[in-house]
Amino acid sequence: CSEDLMDDINKNVNDPANVASNLIITDVMTNSAFSVTGSDLAFYSSVYIEHNVGSFNQMYNAEIRSNEPTSSTTYNNSWNSIYQNLLNLQDIIVKCSEGGSEEGNFYNLGIAQILSAYNLAILTDAMGDVPWSEALQPGVIFTPVIDKQEAIYTDIFSFLDDAIANLNKESTFPYLGNQDFIYGGDEASIDNWIKFAYGLKARYTMRMSMKSPNYDDVITFANNSFADASEQAQFDYNGTSSKSPFQQFFLDRDYFGASTSLHNKLTARNDPRDAIFFKPYDEGGTLEFAPNGAPSQEQGKYGISAISSITAPTYLMSYHEIEFLKAEAYARKNDLVNAKIALEAGIVAAFAKTNIDISEADAMDYYTDEVEPVLLDQATTLKEIMVQKYLAFFEEEAFEAYNDIRRLRAMGNNFIQLDNPLNSTKFPLRFTYGSEDVTTNVNVRDAYGDGSYVYTENVWWAGGSR
Amino acid sequence: QTKQITGTVTSADDGMGMPGVSVVIKGTTVGASTDIDGKYMLEAKASDVLLFSFVGMVSQEIPIGNQTVINVVMVTESIGVDEVIVTALGIKRSKKALGYSVQEVKSDELTKTGTPDLAKALQGKVSGIDIKLSSGMPGASSQIVIRGSRSFTGNNTPLYVVDGMPIASTAAFSTGNSVTGADISNRALDLNPNDIESINVLKGQAAAALYGLRASNGVVIITTKSGKGGKKGKPIISLNQTTSFDIVSRTPDYQKVWSQGNAGVYGPTTSLSWGAKINELPNDPTYGGNGNGHEGMYKVPQLEEGGLDPWVTPKVFNNWDDYYETGYTSTTGINVSQATEKGNFSIGIGYTEQEGIALSTGMERWNAKAAAESKLNENFTVGFSANYAKTEVDKLSGANDASLAGVLSAPSSYNLKGYPYHVVGDPYSQIYYRSLTFDNPYWLAHNNTFNEKTDRFFGNAFVTFETALAADLDFRIKYQLGIDSYTTHYQDIFGFGSKGKSGSINNYGVTDQTYNSLITASFDWKINDDLQFTAILGNELNHNETKTYDQFGQEFNFGGWNHIDNANTVTASEAQYKDRTFGLFSSLSLSWKNMIFLNMTGRNDVASSMPRDNRSFFYPSVSLGFVASELEFVKSINWITFAKIRGSYAEVGQAGTFLENYYTKPNYGGGFWTDEPITYPLDGVNTYIPNNDLYDPNLKPQNTKSYEVGINLKFVNNRFGVDYTYSRQNVKDQIFNIPLAGSTGAGSLTANGGEVHTNGHEVVLYITPIVTSDFTWNVNINYSKIDNVVDKLATGVESIFLGGFTTPQVRAGIGDTYPVIYGSQYKKNELGQILVNEDPNASDYGMPMSGEPGVIGSISPDFIVGASTNFIYKNWSLGATFEWKEGGQMYSGSNGLLDLYGMSKRTEDRESTFIFEGYKADGSKNDIARGGPGDPNATQVLFSDVLTNIDEYYIHGNSFIKLRELSLKYNFPKTIIPKVDLTLSGFVRNILLWTELDNFDPESSQGNNNMAGGFERFSLPQTTSFGFSVDVKF
Repeated sequence: CSEDLMDDINKNVNDPANVASNLIITDVMTNSAFSVTGSDLAFYSSVYIEHNVGSFNQMYNAEIRSNEPTSSTTYNNSWNSIYQNLLNLQDIIVKCSEGGSEEGNFYNLGIAQILSAYNLAILTDAMGDVPWSEALQPGVIFTPVIDKQEAIYTDIFSFLDDAIANLNKESTFPYLGNQDFIYGGDEASIDNWIKFAYGLKARYTMRMSMKSPNYDDVITFANNSFADASEQAQFDYNGTSSKSPFQQFFLDRDYFGASTSLHNKLTARNDPRDAIFFKPYDEGGTLEFAPNGAPSQEQGKYGISAISSITAPTYLMSYHEIEFLKAEAYARKNDLVNAKIALEAGIVAAFAKTNIDISEADAMDYYTDEVEPVLLDQATTLKEIMVQKYLAFFEEEAFEAYNDIRRLRAMGNNFIQLDNPLNSTKFPLRFTYGSEDVTTNVNVRDAYGDGSYVYTENVWWAGGSR
Repeated sequence: QTKQITGTVTSADDGMGMPGVSVVIKGTTVGASTDIDGKYMLEAKASDVLLFSFVGMVSQEIPIGNQTVINVVMVTESIGVDEVIVTALGIKRSKKALGYSVQEVKSDELTKTGTPDLAKALQGKVSGIDIKLSSGMPGASSQIVIRGSRSFTGNNTPLYVVDGMPIASTAAFSTGNSVTGADISNRALDLNPNDIESINVLKGQAAAALYGLRASNGVVIITTKSGKGGKKGKPIISLNQTTSFDIVSRTPDYQKVWSQGNAGVYGPTTSLSWGAKINELPNDPTYGGNGNGHEGMYKVPQLEEGGLDPWVTPKVFNNWDDYYETGYTSTTGINVSQATEKGNFSIGIGYTEQEGIALSTGMERWNAKAAAESKLNENFTVGFSANYAKTEVDKLSGANDASLAGVLSAPSSYNLKGYPYHVVGDPYSQIYYRSLTFDNPYWLAHNNTFNEKTDRFFGNAFVTFETALAADLDFRIKYQLGIDSYTTHYQDIFGFGSKGKSGSINNYGVTDQTYNSLITASFDWKINDDLQFTAILGNELNHNETKTYDQFGQEFNFGGWNHIDNANTVTASEAQYKDRTFGLFSSLSLSWKNMIFLNMTGRNDVASSMPRDNRSFFYPSVSLGFVASELEFVKSINWITFAKIRGSYAEVGQAGTFLENYYTKPNYGGGFWTDEPITYPLDGVNTYIPNNDLYDPNLKPQNTKSYEVGINLKFVNNRFGVDYTYSRQNVKDQIFNIPLAGSTGAGSLTANGGEVHTNGHEVVLYITPIVTSDFTWNVNINYSKIDNVVDKLATGVESIFLGGFTTPQVRAGIGDTYPVIYGSQYKKNELGQILVNEDPNASDYGMPMSGEPGVIGSISPDFIVGASTNFIYKNWSLGATFEWKEGGQMYSGSNGLLDLYGMSKRTEDRESTFIFEGYKADGSKNDIARGGPGDPNATQVLFSDVLTNIDEYYIHGNSFIKLRELSLKYNFPKTIIPKVDLTLSGFVRNILLWTELDNFDPESSQGNNNMAGGFERFSLPQTTSFGFSVDVKF
């Protein structure tokens, strides 16, 4: 039995040893949409920001602030998904960079850089200081050190700037075609990816508002971003081989009840979405709202979301978010005229979401009748912009709403009233590290401790030290 | 003055007359031997003593006195020193010559209570081994682990060798984390205990070293029944029928006061039983009948859905007892064998049928075997052994997919069996007392399927050539070619309507073929009267090919047709693997004066599954036995029959599986998802990402260096014997999937990186306190104490996940025994006292809090004692086997969940005040009283919200004492039915005498891999059996 024969016997006939970058990047899009943005982080965020009330098991624990908010296992799947995406993206970036097997594939390089910025920002927004400079070297570095959020944000902006530069270059490589689940991969898709990159720059510049406000830049970036909903970074589900996370979570787990505090905010505004967001648990039954912070741990009792559907898309970044960012930036600059224009556009776009589907005319009526009258001065305008953004983000964009609430609280703008009485001592200021690092990486374990830091320590952009 | 003495010598084993027994007047050479019917006749004086002896039987001395008829029952010598036993690679050696520990179990010990599962049949009968059962489900997986574990995530079970052919005994698929789906049987299930003549367990590495890479976990050598040893010329036909009835071994203690509901209010759709008192349900404002024309009754909406009158009077139900049925096990076997002048043959067929105690569980197995041997001439012998098995198992799912969740925790107020389980006119819309996270157990019995079907053939053919090269030099060469081939098809179906959704189907399976070519040449050289030398040289080639397939379909279009063609999303995959091991080996033995035995072996293996240029390994062993009782001065000590000291050293390895790093299709199962919410190809598009598990190209085999020392002593004509063995194994360079920090972007790295050691103490005691012509009593005790400690893991790794949830999980950790349970602990102060929450505004005021996660339990037992005893009186024999497992803990999910749901007896008192046993931050004892009239939900908060989130609360000791087997057998005397041996016996199995674990039988858990035995969550319970059997031989 020679070594050659033994090699032949041991040959892996079941898996490819290498694949091209276009076959890798597709799953990064799916994973970023479904696993990172759409699932666990959004579910838990939606409890903390009272889009939903956790009424059973893990979500109930999150609601009553027992175990889940401080446990390292809670967000472990998201933690791993993000790092795996970043590793896959690193693989694409190496392949498409100088010396790589697809050197000069600027399209895939640029898209990979946008998705890297996107995943990395979600990671640090949720968890604060995290392993980054030494991360993504499996089998080489076993215990990556933790980097400062400030430094990580520098890299996020670099990724986006490099991406914009690369996507503006000519490339002899083909477009992604149907491997691009977000923009369809034709020639026009490249422009949309560039707009997405600018949109993210606007989002993350706004994120820095407590540390280094730069509202002019937010407006500039936003203006370079999506001009309408057809350009937004949206991931669609077909309902059979891909299923929308909130609806699938209801089908598989059924852990949410309709939130009283969200319902109250809508009724206070005579908001037509109140009739669209919620439905009774059983068709024809009564619609009972769950009390925030003290629901009965029971399934089948409270009303549920009526906009969860098996094909409801996940927004990596929506057009209405761009308008709300602009509105906030203008309002911060006390340019209320432009702020109102952007706010109205944001509301109209949010009402037009596929699972809400309120006509432009009705949306404008709502704006005129219910919103505009409360926009009295800078403070009230700013506040209503943020509340409207919060309402517009129900329920797919819960994680970004959670980021906003933390930033606003840090800036002293408690615009969005939360009713969970436990928030007096137990508002989760951040998410815990993933248990797969807590158990194997001493740096992360030391930072994690017993997890109670989530109630006391802000992330850096919200004024914290870690 | 002499007189004529006559009598009959019979065997205690079967009551038959024994031919050829030597009957001698003690101190003389005068005597006789028994005839074919066991009768003898001789002349002797009244003062003489008759000595009855026969190879392998306990000799007996009987003074004649005034007797003229002396009948004797001969008992098998449990510790026969001259026994020849089968060791590694089929080499037969005198037991006396062994320098290592081997233990033999005979057929009648295995089949005493008709257990169809070999692992169960071995429980309590061998020292140094731990047999882990997963559940009482027919065909449930079980594991034998000899002298602790050597591998963290790999295989720790011994190699099985049947009639010289190594065969597959492990499951083709691991149950992985073991928190979803059904158990997967291991392939030792295909063996029929009735076909087995004897089992030799080679415990240490020195005993097994000749098997090379596969030897590290010990070897179970199985010899099947053959025609050898029978009376020549006459076929022997034997028939066996065993039937037993199985019942659930334990019923949990339920609370019987409180109804379904929450916070003291009845709620007809919640999984919780924290509602109102059952007898006050008619007063419920929503569902009560008092005051609205249904006095004394309350409304159950589920009855309405089922088209029935919803008004019922409150009543208490025991849904557990209602659910379990009496299962039964029936095994039938027929065997024909014959020995001839030139050889022998044996043909047998066995049929086993089992119906489980849980609905739609069962097993059916057919076994057929044939073996023959023929001596062609004085040099050549040929033979073969062929076995066929067809096994089908119907199972239920556990843990997160638990079929029995509702059986365990249905509210006492709800009649799970009596109320309808589907909507009128729609058999696929379930009616249930709770949300459909789990299915209604009565609904799933008709709609879900977990099934496996195996067809298997294994056997071998051989040719032997032997000749004398010189007067004192024998030469023998044997070539054997064997095959083990099986195909298993699995179906996991959640029917249309399962969990309130449209169901899923998973068809998967494996075809596995192993070819084994073995050639051995041996030289026996009698150098002189004192010195004997044996040399063996050989070559073994083992080649395995496996192909697996997997078809997964989600969302049936409509009910009643649970077929993959009815599924809307279908994915499929297949995989093929090969591996080959090529070994050269040699064994050299030298014996001097039957007193000193030296044995050395060496084997070199080349394994294809390792990286290039790292495939060849050499494993040596040496053992020495010194029979002190052969020394003249020891011989003169009458009461010492036999004394041997032995020692051995061996190194053996275990190969890993190396692959070049590769890309793979992403998978979206796990986490919160029941199925896979995303499946590729998605809209006709596929994608591949770097595989999460990486491989180290410098992988080398893990090595086990072990030594053992032991002593075998026998006293007073073998009436008392003791074997003691101390063994130490040092395992270095363990191969496992080193878990990587999530922040590396990958999941694991297959590399060398761990050390464990085991210290083992094994004691076997044999005592025959009483032997008379009519009555014999013997006792056999096996004691094992194995400490298995993890010394080192790869840099940066402190633990390895073996199964379970993120927490709690089963893992291996440095400095801990292997394996341990890890999870959230109580928050404690420096003294280790449990702290309580002192915030008076908190709902859990005065209750414990969860602290940092850590090791919360250790699974391995401190020691295991197995004891069997036999009383033989004339034709009656009474046997019992006990097992006592001391120490070790488990995660008892079911216990914790009974508390969470408010169904355990512990939760019955909800009206008294209580002070949780704990401490305050200042070190004083907790004095915060909760509960009572002003605080009615405190008990629920404690059990349902607080303790349920502290994994440590779920940890229970699972020490136990069980009466494994009790059997009473009667051999009909030949005088009643001439020429026919008829034996009747009755037995009971698995009587739990005592256990530390509340509510459940401790031998019920999740998983068919290294996490087995320590993690339980809605697992199927064990059974207690009662049965009888008939054996006929003519």
